[in-house]
Amino acid sequence: MKKEEFLISLREELEFDTVLTQERIIKEIEEWDSMSVMILIAFVSDNFNVTLTGEEIKKMTTFQSLIEKIGLEKFN
Amino acid sequence: MGAKITEIEYVFGRNKISNEDLKKEFPNYDFVNFENKVGIRFRYNVDSNQTGLDLAIEACNKLFLRVDKNNIDYILYCTQSPEYLLPTTACILQNRLGLRKNIGAFDFNLGCSGYTYGLSLAKSLINSTQAKNVLLVTAETYSKYLHPSDRSNRAIFGDAASCTLITSHNVEYLHEFSFGTDGAGYDKLIIKNGGSKNMCHPDPVELQYGTDNIYTDNHLYMNGPEVFNFTSQVIPGFTKDILALNAANVADVDQFIFHQANAFMLNFMRKRIKVDEKRFYVDLMDGGNTVSCTIPIALKNYSQNISLTQIQKIVLVGFGVGLSWCGGMVTIDKKL
Repeated sequence: MKKEEFLISLREELEFDTVLTQERIIKEIEEWDSMSVMILIAFVSDNFNVTLTGEEIKKMTTFQSLIEKIGLEKFN
Repeated sequence: MGAKITEIEYVFGRNKISNEDLKKEFPNYDFVNFENKVGIRFRYNVDSNQTGLDLAIEACNKLFLRVDKNNIDYILYCTQSPEYLLPTTACILQNRLGLRKNIGAFDFNLGCSGYTYGLSLAKSLINSTQAKNVLLVTAETYSKYLHPSDRSNRAIFGDAASCTLITSHNVEYLHEFSFGTDGAGYDKLIIKNGGSKNMCHPDPVELQYGTDNIYTDNHLYMNGPEVFNFTSQVIPGFTKDILALNAANVADVDQFIFHQANAFMLNFMRKRIKVDEKRFYVDLMDGGNTVSCTIPIALKNYSQNISLTQIQKIVLVGFGVGLSWCGGMVTIDKKL
């Protein structure tokens, strides 16, 4: 998956109005809440077979940092 | 020889709370999205003077409209909302229901895995000829443990009690059960204060979790993401183990009834186990997550749609606080 595709699909999954970019700070998105965390964990698990913990998500800043956590090698 | 679920009754707490009601308290939160994802529209809380035992008595009295209470020879009472730290609530229930005195009765402290545990215990008591008619009661009032500003948990949890009559039967209807325990996750869902380790603090520090949820160590705390990860990693494989233990395939099962924790999580697991929507129960719209009561509520409601001649094989799986999980296969052949 390309990074851009990932962010588009994730946005659809989260049903966010706001557009997600690599530079955006996750927690600054107004719609971001504890349900988003659950949806993110499920989405990443399904698509990358990677399990994110709540603690790891708490430490993330931008969507770029999320992509790095999943593993840059998983994106082409 | 065997054991069989013959009747189920349940009641909710007195106060029905809609998402619109919660919206008034938490105006910035999108409860429409919450309802779509988590699948809860109403939850019921008890009044401050109403307890889990009160709910249990109400549910049992509904059952005794069609069951002779003098036949009950064992009470299994599953709760994390006991009337007192001691004595065991089941003793008080025996007296308040006017049940015989020559019966067994005890509480066991489990949450969302409690109902399936109770079925397995009831089966053991019956098959070892220690009891013939076991009254399995679940009663939970988590609302009493929630901080008023803990929006997430107030939206998810509801209060309820259920009672199930399990009787001896010439054919085994409670099939094989399996168990799981991981105490490393004990603090993922916990009330730290009020037990023998930590007294309830008179002026506890307010803490925050997730997005703007407030709690203290006197209150219930749930680490949602970690509970979600535990469930999604452990329960699909565990379900496969239950099927193997019962020499069954996914296709042999008429309905999967899991603890109704949250619709999103249930559907996530459903896809992992590869079960179609029709055979996987998801309905917590009216009542929410009532802890150990969700499975008996779902089982009763599901059974209303089966016809008299149908025999249904159902896989039940409970999981949660502990961390603890338990599941098994049961047969039902009537409206419960």
